[in-house]
Amino acid sequence: MKLTNKFKKLLLLALALRLLVSALLFHPDIKTIAFQTSFLKKGIINIYPYLANNKQNLPFKDGFVYFPLTYFAIGGYQAVISPLLGEDFDDWLQDARANSVVNNPNIFKYLIFLKLPLLFMDIFVAFLLLKFFKKKINGEKAFTLWLFNPFTIILIYAFSNIDLYPILLTVIAFLNIKRKNILLGAVFLGLASCFKLYPLLFLPFMFLNGRTLKEKILSVLIPVSMTIVTMIPFWSKAFIDSALISGLTTRIFSPGFSVGFGESIVVGVFLLSALFFYALIINKKIRLFNYWIIFLFLIFSFSHFHISWLLWIAPFLVIKAVQKPILLWPIFFWVVIAISIPLFYSDRAMTISLFRIYTTWFDLLPTPFVVLQKIYDPYNFQSLLHSSLAGLSVMISYKLI
Amino acid sequence: MKKMIWFTTISIIFLLFLMPAVMASVIKMIPAIDQPGYDGSSRVSIYGVYEFKQKFVSKYKNLVAVGTSIKNPNLANKKEIIFNLYNENNDLIRSVILSGKNIEDGDFVKFVFDKVDDSTDETYFFTISSPTSGPGEVIEVFLIKPTTEVIEYSYNKETKEGGAPLVTFHKPDSIWETIKLVYINWFSRLLSLGFQKTL
Repeated sequence: MKLTNKFKKLLLLALALRLLVSALLFHPDIKTIAFQTSFLKKGIINIYPYLANNKQNLPFKDGFVYFPLTYFAIGGYQAVISPLLGEDFDDWLQDARANSVVNNPNIFKYLIFLKLPLLFMDIFVAFLLLKFFKKKINGEKAFTLWLFNPFTIILIYAFSNIDLYPILLTVIAFLNIKRKNILLGAVFLGLASCFKLYPLLFLPFMFLNGRTLKEKILSVLIPVSMTIVTMIPFWSKAFIDSALISGLTTRIFSPGFSVGFGESIVVGVFLLSALFFYALIINKKIRLFNYWIIFLFLIFSFSHFHISWLLWIAPFLVIKAVQKPILLWPIFFWVVIAISIPLFYSDRAMTISLFRIYTTWFDLLPTPFVVLQKIYDPYNFQSLLHSSLAGLSVMISYKLI
Repeated sequence: MKKMIWFTTISIIFLLFLMPAVMASVIKMIPAIDQPGYDGSSRVSIYGVYEFKQKFVSKYKNLVAVGTSIKNPNLANKKEIIFNLYNENNDLIRSVILSGKNIEDGDFVKFVFDKVDDSTDETYFFTISSPTSGPGEVIEVFLIKPTTEVIEYSYNKETKEGGAPLVTFHKPDSIWETIKLVYINWFSRLLSLGFQKTL
């Protein structure tokens, strides 16, 4: 695509906004991840047992919750940029004191460099979105909507969202699926699963989508085997405890309501299986792209999600909002409600703490959770928001199916 | 799409450049310093007749609170915890009573009182006691070496240098004063001057 002057200006503005958010908003996860992945440049290949065995001597005690490919991707990048950041960078990574970390005069530089891969992937996604449309004007709309919406900018750069690695890969996967390169799509879906497990949950639909039995089997087998192959060398108790039993698996598979005698209906699984059997028995010729959105809607509607997960669906909602303008406002409201829910979690890092670079005096401020607590039960409020989200998800899904 | 570009640009600029002012405007008190570090191994127990007395210097005016970390092992202390503030002549000038029920083990506890106007560079004492609690209901205060603010402490009839890792809090003159200080801090660090301006 040849960039016009107008596009170049837009791109510059988009870059400027992203660099500003990168430098000025700080979520502690980026430092924890940077600390943990810094061991790659010191020659540690298997991070899981290393962190578990050296817990006592390390300033941060958490295990590495991501998959091996994340460790190598982020750790490898850090090995390259570390010489540019100077020796103080490693001291900063080791610093476990909450205030000196954000008062470090180099923090702006560190944050920009650490978030730079996100910027490249983010812009890459924008250019990929252009390719989802036959009409150039629609592609440009998607490109602009991806670059200019405050939600993805905040989700990526304020929360240092490293889920962007699998998200980029799922976008490439669906671009290939759209072009009927089903198996290449499966390869990218598998690569995405090597970063984060959620694409694996979609494989039953990949199976249904296959045109021949061979394609059906391979489109499941390829992602599963890729994920397993990247896990096997790291398989250990430490890996299982810290990375495999992740928030996703525990949250999606947590029991919903009891049917007596110790048995429960797991709502997430119930709805995903209902969607699968609807596709198998009733819909038959499924539109995989729409099922992917519905699949993600179900995850967000019926599980206690982390704010960074919301990015999983973002590029696909942008495409859908451009393809079906009638859904633009429902999708906008869906995003507003979805982002609002985690902001009311009892977690300072979701709101107030993001601004600690400006001053640590903000530590004295109450979180939205505490403020709300004075007038209403915040858990009830979250439940109301989540129920509205689920209702809206059902409505949009109905339009998509 | 033009609307979306404007909406995004304005939202991000508001978030980055104006939101800190909105947040600063609701800060009611400003800490004089970051809490000094402590290793946790050195501490004293407070219960019954065992009270802790600390001599300290308030660096700024409008002293409005003193905070320090307090251990309440197993949340055993559910009794009254009394904080008394004395001036240099040992006259009681402020008193605060909290319940041990509200103090989690290791919490940073702020004793908030009516503003003391002319507190700049003045020496004060405070005591923390829990006279109705027994040996099974102790609370503990951590100890550090002396700093420019933390001078000396008395415990069990002995006076030693140093004391609690305390932070004094001061009421700003106005909302604008707080907002100004937040932005001065931020700009000074953006320009890599490497200092944090205080009150």
